[in-house]
Amino acid sequence: MATRHDRKVSILDVMGPVMVGPSSSHTAGTARLGRVAREILDEDPVEVRFILHPPLAATYRGHGSDFALVGGSIGLNVDDPRIPEAIRIAEQMGVEIVFTEEDLGDVHPNTVRIEIRGKSREAEITGSSIGGGVIEVFNLNGFQTRFKGDSPTLLLFYRDRPGMISEVTRIIAEEGINIASLYCSRKQRGKDAFMQIDVDSPLGHEALARICAVGDVAEAKYLDRIP
Amino acid sequence: MIESFKQLEELGRDRDLADVFLETDEQEHGIAKADILLALTRRRAVMRDCVERGKGGGLSMGKLVGDEAKKLNEAFLAGKTFLDPLTVKAELYALSVMGENSRMGVIVAAPTAGAGGVVPGMLLALEEERNIDPEKTVRALVVAGGIGSIIALSANISGAAGGCQNEVGVASSMGAAAVAYMMDGSTRQSIQAAALALKNTLGLVCDPVGGLVEVPCVKRNALFAVHGLTAAQLALAGVESVIPMDEVVEAMVRIGRALPRGLKETAEGGLATTATGCAIGSRLKDEANQRRADRAAERERLAQERKASTH
Ligand code: SF4
Repeated sequence: MATRHDRKVSILDVMGPVMVGPSSSHTAGTARLGRVAREILDEDPVEVRFILHPPLAATYRGHGSDFALVGGSIGLNVDDPRIPEAIRIAEQMGVEIVFTEEDLGDVHPNTVRIEIRGKSREAEITGSSIGGGVIEVFNLNGFQTRFKGDSPTLLLFYRDRPGMISEVTRIIAEEGINIASLYCSRKQRGKDAFMQIDVDSPLGHEALARICAVGDVAEAKYLDRIP
Repeated sequence: MIESFKQLEELGRDRDLADVFLETDEQEHGIAKADILLALTRRRAVMRDCVERGKGGGLSMGKLVGDEAKKLNEAFLAGKTFLDPLTVKAELYALSVMGENSRMGVIVAAPTAGAGGVVPGMLLALEEERNIDPEKTVRALVVAGGIGSIIALSANISGAAGGCQNEVGVASSMGAAAVAYMMDGSTRQSIQAAALALKNTLGLVCDPVGGLVEVPCVKRNALFAVHGLTAAQLALAGVESVIPMDEVVEAMVRIGRALPRGLKETAEGGLATTATGCAIGSRLKDEANQRRADRAAERERLAQERKASTH
């Protein structure tokens, strides 16, 4: 599972988050996972499917994970007192909600795959709520990743080619922004590729537009810290 | 980065422990010291709110708990408690926070929601009983968080990963270090308090009835808040753990791995599978199924209505 290094957590991660009860891994972490899916979709969802790993499927209802997952996926934060009402709110918004169970492999017990669909696009993430509200998303639209939502992040989907990384990182450097970490993965050489860049400070609209304009970039998405 | 408690002790010798943690967190995570203190000031206020709201009691989501804080508060106000006020308040405040948590109220996970009553129980009771400046309590929250972040380097902080020792045990350990800090103990004494508290929770299983964070969680928080206070008392008197804190954490991780799955939050062992636990579990399942059926019926009705209105 996670290496020692991956477990670096801050004081505020440990003494927090401020959240709606009753369980940080089942309520706060799951709400954040839902929120990640919603942010990546970047529009109102019309359908959200939650595919739960068996241990989570066994415990999710009692901990209000169903409210939390749905709440996150319609954009509620972990400390939003409306979370207990999230399913009703989603229904009023006309969002189709489906919960199913599936063995997701050798993963943390609290793991879920979220398939979210809006009017114009769809997204898919798989991630774990590893305790204390901390999350690890390890698959994003079919690409391997290591997303924790604890810093501003740029997600890039592009056609794999030499020079891409340096072009993008140069733009970020020119904006005076420090890169905390960078992670790439691809489906096949020369085919679809994905880059995740965690940055130390927020990325402006202009920088994002410049990055979108780089040749072979299919999509660039900027996510703030997931609260 | 502070990699171990041994290293922490060296870094923190003759220094204010909160300052040590604030500095490393700023370097490591880029969050300014002032921002950490500001966020924790707000979190202390959320904890205080929880305590006030929670004292009144109220039925939990799963309806298994609800009036614990209210009962203890009434006994306390009527002068019918026999323990000293600090101990009673630590219990009371832990129960209050956990009551709020079980009603899906807004709380602070410290380090988790299920163990979220322990630290505020200890710290807020001490603050009140000893007239400690709330700013010092905020700095003690830094200490508690810092201790937890070192533990988190080698252990997943969740009952699912290693049982309740990883949640309530860790909370009690964090709180013990913070209490030693509030009582002007040395860095070494804070680490000793953490070690004494943690090592005496090793093996604590996570066996929540019906899978809910209610039984035994709510009362367990109260009892382990007191456990943490006693650990801090020993450490402040100079009593030391024979096994150093780093090794206690290692032992916790090993025990967590060795614990069977049924005792790690799955509700498939321990208290959850007692006769009473099972009966409650199946009642909860029935109720959940009923709710789901009701929701489906409601959806169906809405769909019919929509269809009717378009005709
Ligand atoms: S028994 Fe389990 S759910 Fe309850 S507080 Fe302990 S670790 Fe959390």
